[in-house]
Amino acid sequence: MTDLPSRRTFLGLAGVSAATLALGTGAPAHASTPGDVPADPFRLGVASGDPEPDSVVLWTRLAPEPLAADGHGGMPRRPVDVHYEVAEDSQFKRIVRRGHAVASPELAHSVHPEVHGLAPGREYFYRFRAGSSISPFGRTRTAPARHDQAQLSFAVASCQAWYHGHFTAYRHMAAEDIDLVFFVGDYIYEYAINSANLWREGVQLDKVHDAEVRTLEQYRLRYALFKSDPHLQAVHAHAPWVSTWDDHEVQNNYEHVGVTPEDFERRRAVAYRAYYENMPLRRTSLPHGPHMTLYRRVGWGRLANFSVLDTRQYRLPGKSILGARQEKWLHDGLRASSSTWNVLAQQVVMAQIDRDMGPGQTFSNDQWDGFRAERERLLALRTPNLVVLTGDIHRNVAAELKADFNDPESATIGTELVAGSIGSDGDGTRRDNYTDLWLSNPHVKFYDGRRGYVRCTLTPSQLTSEYRVVDYIRRDDRAPVSTAARFVTPAGRPGLEVQ
Amino acid sequence: MKLSATPGIGWIDLAWAHHGFVDHFAIYASDSPFVQGELVEKTVYTRFRHANLGPRSRTFYYRVVTVDAAGNRSRPSPMLRASSLTSVTVSGQPVAVIGEFDRTSRGLALAPNGYQQYTARFPNGPDYPASDWPYLHPGPADKWAGSKPHSFRFRFTLPVVRDLVLAVWLIDTHATIPGVLSLSCNDTSFAEVPLERGATKGSTVGEGPSLRPSIVEVAVPASALRHGANMITFTKASGSWHAYDAVGVFTPA
Repeated sequence: MTDLPSRRTFLGLAGVSAATLALGTGAPAHASTPGDVPADPFRLGVASGDPEPDSVVLWTRLAPEPLAADGHGGMPRRPVDVHYEVAEDSQFKRIVRRGHAVASPELAHSVHPEVHGLAPGREYFYRFRAGSSISPFGRTRTAPARHDQAQLSFAVASCQAWYHGHFTAYRHMAAEDIDLVFFVGDYIYEYAINSANLWREGVQLDKVHDAEVRTLEQYRLRYALFKSDPHLQAVHAHAPWVSTWDDHEVQNNYEHVGVTPEDFERRRAVAYRAYYENMPLRRTSLPHGPHMTLYRRVGWGRLANFSVLDTRQYRLPGKSILGARQEKWLHDGLRASSSTWNVLAQQVVMAQIDRDMGPGQTFSNDQWDGFRAERERLLALRTPNLVVLTGDIHRNVAAELKADFNDPESATIGTELVAGSIGSDGDGTRRDNYTDLWLSNPHVKFYDGRRGYVRCTLTPSQLTSEYRVVDYIRRDDRAPVSTAARFVTPAGRPGLEVQ
Repeated sequence: MKLSATPGIGWIDLAWAHHGFVDHFAIYASDSPFVQGELVEKTVYTRFRHANLGPRSRTFYYRVVTVDAAGNRSRPSPMLRASSLTSVTVSGQPVAVIGEFDRTSRGLALAPNGYQQYTARFPNGPDYPASDWPYLHPGPADKWAGSKPHSFRFRFTLPVVRDLVLAVWLIDTHATIPGVLSLSCNDTSFAEVPLERGATKGSTVGEGPSLRPSIVEVAVPASALRHGANMITFTKASGSWHAYDAVGVFTPA
């Protein structure tokens, strides 16, 4: 039995120092051997994320051949300078910031420059240059100033099994007037892709994708495959994202049957590395071997305080879903919050869902139902205007969080909005085999089995949530979008009012 | 990086120690020590089973190359020579055999997918050769078979008492709860065999690449055997089903 690899050995023995990793975030340095960059290196698009009042993080990953089997996207094995510009206008006539970061092969030629010194609460445009190629531009925005009671529109998305269908939902999201996108998990899936699950019509895939994803090159390739979708790229370019993962960014339910804990940590380490490489994340989320800090807060003036959770990494089955440290951080943050709205962006369903439609009660231990004491401690805080954004189940659900889920008359103390999947499970139907089960729980107010996302508008006085759905995704990306349900949650009165 | 090997029938397990972050380990196998051979696996784990090597012993020369996050490849590890073991079905003489050792469930009752008739057709469990031998052996985790232990009886005649080897070839097992196969001979327990995890496909598929076959070959001590009529009982008292390819008792070489 080998010792658990320590953080130092994970970084050190790979010949990659923390400083080298940090270069991709815009630390002052240049590529030591600058050279030609292959043409058309921005085929995975551009992105921004985690806005603060004076800064955002920008992202791109150079990949002139995104589906190169070695996961390096057709880039040479040497570092490359990537320059960026941030402007007030999409013609880049009023440029406010310029800089560069080093795209290194250790990070699959991704860069994550953090741009500071921006004005709060305003729209910006950004683009990159590598060699003689200029990227398409992206639109982003900063958070409002700390005391600004602004308005916010955002979308919630999750579960994008590329192979199950077209990202029609993203085509529509890219046309929405939104300030922010919350992605709450399952950005990729690790499964082998073959004729059994390739339901997205009109695509041909190389055999290299017909293997469960375990190595770093495979995870990199899987991100490249999913990110090759033009509608996903369009949404990344349309608004800053605040992202967290669920299980499939590593492996279904973090199962590691037949694999030693040490070897599973190796897999987690490469999966976390690939996640960081492919998402607009700040330096604080740089992975260290099998560890990566993804839970964090995003403030939106006095309007909202977003707590982004990681319910996978620290999970102890049957004992804790957040881990003691994250739970304390969350409770401390909620207690200290003076924001009107307190929003959790997280993965698995928090409302109690009794899966036995008879007199008994059966619960899923994979969701918050498997961690009832922890849920009770959280809900006991009686956080004002608590809203929980959830993914995972591939179904659109709206539920009220109750003081006592077994007593429908008990106080409603929060609101849960579960975003249906972007792709996972292919074509859906409004009603399906689970409709009656979910709606048999009296605090579940809405269920729809189609693909889609939730569009939310937050003002100081109310939250409006709209469930946007498409009827099919397998055949093509042309399905229109419709609003399946619209709810209002007035500030000070948690729950769901049908509009 | 030093490799070590553990051989089995039809497979060789390789393992090595390595600290540090890697993209993956690339494993090369050759039947000659003088060439690197073919890439047989890329894995992020520090072990690898070279499987499906067949019932006759085969020798391979292994090298492992470490690929780092930047795509740089290490020098190959020192070479390791290892040989798989030979099955008694090849080296021994058959005493009694059910089915054919051919990586399919063909020739067994209810094969390849008729397991739902098991309870009706074998209410008291199979008793070969008075009854047929079904391809699927349920375990207590299988609701469709009554959620209880199941025993299969295999009777054969032995003209001379001597050490034997029981060969149990499986086309597949359950992926997460393959369970334990308890073996007794004439009421003398002689082995408790934890089965390897399979692919959970063999209940409905009789052959092919979706299956994960495994081989169990265990000694039957002469002390448990009798001149004349003998009975080996196969009991599944934990886990889910396993799917047979063939079973037999052999006189080892």
